[in-house]
Amino acid sequence: MAEVTLTNTRKSYGNVDIIHGIDLDIEDGQFVVLVGPSGCGKSTLLRMVAGLETISSGEVAIGGRVVNDIDPKDRDIAMVFQNYALYPHMTVATNMGFSLEHRGTSKSEISERVNWAAGILGLTPLLDRYPRQLSGGQRQRVAMGRAIVRSPQVFLFDEPLSNLDAKLRVVMRGEIKALHDKLRTTMIYVTHDQVEAMTMADKIVVLNAGRIEQSGTPLELYDRPANRFVAGFIGSPAMNFISGKVHADGLAVSGITIPLPEKAKKYIGDDVTVGIRPEHLTVEEGGLAAQVLLVEPMGHETQITVQLADNPITGLFRERLALQAGSGVKIGFKTEALHMFSAKDGHRLE
Amino acid sequence: MKAELSPRAKVMVYGAMCVLLIPFVFPTWWMVTSSFKPVSEIFAFPPRLIPDSWDFTTYGQVFTLQPFAKQYWNSAYIAAIVTVGTMGISSMAGYAFARIRFPFANAIFMVVLLGLLIPSEVTIVPLFQLFLKLGMVNTHWPLILVPIFGAPSVFATFVMRQFFISLPAELEEAARVDGLSRFKIFTKIALPLSRPALASVAIFTFLHSWNLYLEPIVFLSSADKFTLPQALTQFTDAYGGPMWNIQLAAATLTALPVLIVFIIAQKHFVEGLAHTGLKG
Ligand SMILES: Nc1ncnc2c1ncn2[C@@H]1O[C@H](COP(=O)(O)OP(=O)(O)OP(=O)(O)O)[C@@H](O)[C@H]1O
Ligand SMILES: [Mg+2]
Repeated sequence: MAEVTLTNTRKSYGNVDIIHGIDLDIEDGQFVVLVGPSGCGKSTLLRMVAGLETISSGEVAIGGRVVNDIDPKDRDIAMVFQNYALYPHMTVATNMGFSLEHRGTSKSEISERVNWAAGILGLTPLLDRYPRQLSGGQRQRVAMGRAIVRSPQVFLFDEPLSNLDAKLRVVMRGEIKALHDKLRTTMIYVTHDQVEAMTMADKIVVLNAGRIEQSGTPLELYDRPANRFVAGFIGSPAMNFISGKVHADGLAVSGITIPLPEKAKKYIGDDVTVGIRPEHLTVEEGGLAAQVLLVEPMGHETQITVQLADNPITGLFRERLALQAGSGVKIGFKTEALHMFSAKDGHRLE
Repeated sequence: MKAELSPRAKVMVYGAMCVLLIPFVFPTWWMVTSSFKPVSEIFAFPPRLIPDSWDFTTYGQVFTLQPFAKQYWNSAYIAAIVTVGTMGISSMAGYAFARIRFPFANAIFMVVLLGLLIPSEVTIVPLFQLFLKLGMVNTHWPLILVPIFGAPSVFATFVMRQFFISLPAELEEAARVDGLSRFKIFTKIALPLSRPALASVAIFTFLHSWNLYLEPIVFLSSADKFTLPQALTQFTDAYGGPMWNIQLAAATLTALPVLIVFIIAQKHFVEGLAHTGLKG
């Protein structure tokens, strides 16, 4: 087990900069999720830690040892790939024992380790099968088995669940988390799915265009997003945003005034974007008048999209509301649930 | 993924295949049966599907009129060396062109491909002079070296390169993390997975060498060095006319290994395809 430290790590292909100076401390045993939109450089960053991609400048250290110029095989890491990358011509057992075989481990120890890993992952009855004879979820488990047999210092996962159907994804999510609880090995996990990030991570790192937007625990990111990007990225359905000018009595937006918390007084005259999460909206008398655009009942919740001051706003309600598209509704919220961001650069206003 | 055909569709498909087979099967059948016919019967019209009288002596004469066993061996061992050599060179070169980044890789590949565009008739004279200088005329060396370093190998390299390009890079990255060197990745991962491509390379390389005609007649001059296609032309009577039935017997013997190689390699071919299981 080991901590992973990135210091001003950069990556460029030719003269195109992909990763712009990342600083990141990952503690020993932590489950860190790198999350961000497609193309933001998550995989690239992970592959730099793995050693599959060179580091243009800066430093990557694993367990206190700078690994910039060390081969993947000597970094004591294991990686689970998006398409599993199981060797098609080898059985499950051979796949799992392959890396040990190439490190000169004895036959008896290999089979012991493989059986141990297969036991943990429920693969024991499948050991003699070939990858083509397995379901997607089973392949996924074999890929994890191949990673854990070696007891590496760090596990790297690159969107390991993206090829599974929604239901299986939830199951495997739980299994990976349980595996982490059991092994307590440092894990770095890449996904673009913020639900995966929220449910699994000890620490989430939100990346955007090769930069860290914010890192912290899932709830820190949910409760106090550092900027508008993180606010919009974390949480599902996404946070609603409305922009306007701050007045003494609230935010003026196309004819209506949205009440603001006390701290907004500091920003009178400024252009501000306020954000409110769908789950913090209520339907109440005395709220702001809005027009219902769309009602999506899901049984346990009802998702409603309304038109409020020319902005489409999504609300998530526990109760079953008898509303119809086109009807009017009064939307309320607690002012302390509002987030405020600078309209100029999107940073959080306190 | 195999779609089951209804019995009726099956009958129709097999029926159509039988009809399509006629142009391929009839000449073969005629060759084999005619090798047992006396010369007089060979040109009988309409052609006889089954010989009226069987003459088995033709096969004995094949071996007495020519050092046919020796020639058979010549063809066999040359084709075997060429096939193995081409498989070795083309798999390594194809892998390098597909996977290893080195300066001018694409330009070099283009130059290599040019080897396919130049007909062997163009290069045969310079090659003859070259091998003459090397003292290799009337030996089997030209028949071994020319294909291994010539057009058949270029084509094989192209086939292997295309295959290796299609091999998921993730597999090799997994192997790198698992601790394999580049060469081990080639031998343990890439090569075993390339069996279908290698099988087709083996088939066409073997066939090419086995059927080689121009090179042997240019480079070889003594009968005990001849290869089979060249030997076939030597079954002539005192006046230089072909001895048809004996020639057809020799031709039948010549075609036999091709059939066997194809059956074996085809099995590997199908097995290899099923074995890769690369698709989800
Ligand atoms: N070999 C390369 N040459 C040039 N640019 C590259 C190369 N590999 C990746 N990139 C670029 O780097 C950026 C980051 O790619 P990366 O694969 O890390 O994204 P990602 O965050 O993993 O996205 P996704 O969620 O789609 O997997 C992309 O804009 C991509 O176009
Ligand atoms: Mg990616």
